[in-house]
Amino acid sequence: MDLNLAPEDVAFAEEVRSFIDANLPDATRRAMTLTTAFLNEPELGYEWHKILHEQKGWSVPSWPDEWGGPGWTPVQKYIFDLESARAGAPVYNGQGSRMVGPVLMHFGTQEQKDKYLPSICSGEDHWCQGYSEPGSGSDLASLKTKAVADGDDYIINGQKIWTSFAHKSNRMFALVRTSSEGKRQEGITFILLDMDTPGITIRPIIGNGGDHEFNEVFFDDVRVPQSGRVGEENKGWDVAKYLLEFERGGALVAGRVRAQFAKVVRLICDRGIGQDAHIRARMAEIGADLDTMEMVDIRVLSDLQSGANPGAISSMLKMRWSSIRQEVSELALDAAGEDILKWEPERPLYDALQLPPDEEELLGIAPRYLNFRAYTILGGTNEIQAEILGKRMLGL
Amino acid sequence: MDLQRDTEHTLLADSAERMLSENYDFSARHGSQADQGNDTAWADDMWRQFAQLGWLALPFAEEDGGLGAGMVEISILAEAFGRNMVAEPYMTTVVLSGGLIAAIGTPEQRADTLPAIGEGALRIAFMGGAAGDISVDAAPSGDGYVLSGARKSVIDAPMAGRLLVPARIGDGAGVFMIDCDATGVTLRPHRTLDGGRAADVELTGVNVSRAQLLGGLEDASGAIGAAIDRTIAALSSDAVGAMGKLVEETLEYTKTREQFGQPISKFQVLAHRLVDMKVSEEEARAVTTLAVLSADAPTDMRRRAVSSAKSKVGRCARFVGQNAVQTYGAIGTTADLTIGNYVKRLMVYEASYGSTAHHAELYAAIIADPDTAGAGLLLSPAA
Repeated sequence: MDLNLAPEDVAFAEEVRSFIDANLPDATRRAMTLTTAFLNEPELGYEWHKILHEQKGWSVPSWPDEWGGPGWTPVQKYIFDLESARAGAPVYNGQGSRMVGPVLMHFGTQEQKDKYLPSICSGEDHWCQGYSEPGSGSDLASLKTKAVADGDDYIINGQKIWTSFAHKSNRMFALVRTSSEGKRQEGITFILLDMDTPGITIRPIIGNGGDHEFNEVFFDDVRVPQSGRVGEENKGWDVAKYLLEFERGGALVAGRVRAQFAKVVRLICDRGIGQDAHIRARMAEIGADLDTMEMVDIRVLSDLQSGANPGAISSMLKMRWSSIRQEVSELALDAAGEDILKWEPERPLYDALQLPPDEEELLGIAPRYLNFRAYTILGGTNEIQAEILGKRMLGL
Repeated sequence: MDLQRDTEHTLLADSAERMLSENYDFSARHGSQADQGNDTAWADDMWRQFAQLGWLALPFAEEDGGLGAGMVEISILAEAFGRNMVAEPYMTTVVLSGGLIAAIGTPEQRADTLPAIGEGALRIAFMGGAAGDISVDAAPSGDGYVLSGARKSVIDAPMAGRLLVPARIGDGAGVFMIDCDATGVTLRPHRTLDGGRAADVELTGVNVSRAQLLGGLEDASGAIGAAIDRTIAALSSDAVGAMGKLVEETLEYTKTREQFGQPISKFQVLAHRLVDMKVSEEEARAVTTLAVLSADAPTDMRRRAVSSAKSKVGRCARFVGQNAVQTYGAIGTTADLTIGNYVKRLMVYEASYGSTAHHAELYAAIIADPDTAGAGLLLSPAA
C-alpha cells in the first residue's frame, strides 16, 4: 500500500500540467477566478474544450477511444481532472460528457450513439438536465411532466425547474411520465430532445448570488420523436439511477476545492489574520477535512483501478464534498470581513470588472458563498444522501 | 498508488481479529475497579501469545530478530487492538520504544533489546509525551550523565522492565534507556481512564552511562519526533477500530430497542445520526491511512499527514463517542455497557502524544502556507 504515483503516471501528470500551463489563456484563468456560479459559463468552457479537442484529443477525458476519448486508465483520468481543476481550467458541458454520454454508451442505440456522441466530443452540443419539477425535488419519482405517444412522436406537456444553463443548451435529457399505473418509478421514461423544438419556453431564475444559472423550462405540446427515447418506455428510472452512480466527488471536485482553499489561505496570510483564533481553528479543521476526503477519493480510485466496486461511497462523497466546499466559501467570507459589503450586480464578474486582481477577487466572495449553498441541495440533498447511505451502508 | 490490502494483509487482519475476539477477555483483563493488578499472570500469558504470533517482532528488521513488516501491518494489528480493547503495552514497547531503538540505537543497544522485545521478554515504556514535551534533564557527570525530572501517567510503566527517557542535554534531546528498578527511579502505579496501567515516574539523580544514551546521540529530536508520529499513526488505527465497534454496537442496539411500538432505528433523526457516525468512522479511517502511509515520508510530509490525522480522528472520535451515548439513552451513561469503555479509550487517544487541539495548532502552522494548502496527497516517487 502506498500513495506513490507510478513513473509513467508522474510523466503523464507532468505532460498534463505543462500543456495546461502553456495553453490555458490568461483571460480564462482570470475569468475562472472571478466565476461566482458553481458551474462556469459554457462560453468560457467551450474555448478550452476546443483547444483540448483539437490539439490533444482530451475533450472527453472519461471516454473510451472508440468515441473520441483518450481511453485513459482511472489514474490518468484522476490526474487529468486534478491538474485541470487545480490550474483553474474551466469545465464544459459536464451534463453531456459526464452524464448523458456514459448513459448513451451503456443504454443507447447505435443510431443514438452516432448521432449524439461525436458532437459532445467536439463541443458542438451543450446539454442540460431536465429532472426536477416544481412539485418534484427530492421526491423525483413523483414527477408529472407528461409524454403521450402520438405516432412516432411523444407530445410533452409540463414544467421542469432548476435546469442549469437551459438558456445556453441546445439539447436536453429529461425524465417524463409515460404511465400513471403501477409503481411511480415504473411510469418514467428517459428522453432526449432539442431545445429549439416549438413549444419550449425558458424563464430565468436569478440566484441570490446574482448569477443566472438556473431556469424554468415549460413544455407546451412539444412534439419529440420517440427515436430520442433511451432504453424502454417506462424504464427511465433505471437509466436515471445508472447516471446517478457516476462520481459524486472525484478529482474535479478535490482539485477545485484545494485551489479555492489555497486561495483563501493566501487571503488569510495577506491580511495577517492567520493568528486570529477562530480563523486559524477553522483553517485547520477545513484543511484536515479536505485531506480526509481526498483520501476517500484516492481510496475509490484505488478500488476502480483494481476492479473493485466502491459501493455506496458515492453518496458519502457527495455529502461531505458539498459541505466542505461550502465551508471553504464560508472561511473566505470570514477572512474578507467588511470587504464583502460592496456588491457588483453585473454577471459575469469578469466582464463587468476592471480592477486590480486583489480587489476583483474580493467581489466574488459573497456571491460565491450564497451560490454555494446550492451544493448541499442539488443532485440529491444531503438529507437524501443520508437516506441512501442509511439503506445501503447500514441496512436501515 | 495502491490502497488495496493484499492477501497477507487480509490474513493478518482476520487472524488478529479472531484471536483477540476469542481470547482477549475484557473483564478478565480489566477486572473490577478495585482490582489493582491481580491480572499480571493473565497479561503475561497474553503477551507470550502475542510473541508466539510474531506480533512483537513484526516491525523489526530481520537482523534484529524481526519480521521486517511496516506501518501497514502495524496499523492492521492496531485496528484489531482498538476493536478488542487490548490494554497490553504494544504501542509503547514495540512501536514507540522498539521503533526508536531500531532507528537510532547502536548495534549493541539493538542486539540487547530488539530480540528480547520480539520474544516477549522485555517491555519498555516511554517517559515522554508529544514531540518536544520533555520533562527530564540530563546533566553531564564524569563519563555519563545524571537524570532528574518527573512525569505523570507514563503509560504502561508498571508493566515495563525498562524506561526510555527523552532528556534535555544542553539544547538537544537525547534518549536514555534505564531499568525501572534503577537507583533513584520511583514509580507510583495507577490505572488509566480506559483501564490501562500507568505510573507517575520520578527520577532523582539517576546515574547513567554513555552506553545508555541511544545511538550516543546528544540530539535525537528528529528521531524522537518520527517515532512519536509513527505511534500516533498506529494509535489512530486503534481509534478507528474502537469507533468501528461503537458504530456497529450502536447500530445493532437501535435495531432491537423499541419505543413507540417500533425499533428506534426507524426514526429518521436516529437513522441520520447513525449515518453521520458511520461517515465519521470512514473519514477517520481515510485520514488514518494518510498518516500510516506517510509515516516514513520526508519530515514535512509526515508532519502534515500525522497532525492532520490526529486532529481529524480526534474530532471524529468525540463525535462518535458522544452520539453513541446519546443514542443508547440513559443506559449509555452507565458503567454497565462496553460502549462506555470504548468512549474512554477514545478519550485516551485524544489526550495521548498531543491533544486534538495541540495537533490542530501544529497542522494550522503547516497549512498556513498557500503552496502547502494547495498541494494534493498523491506523491511522486522522487518526492
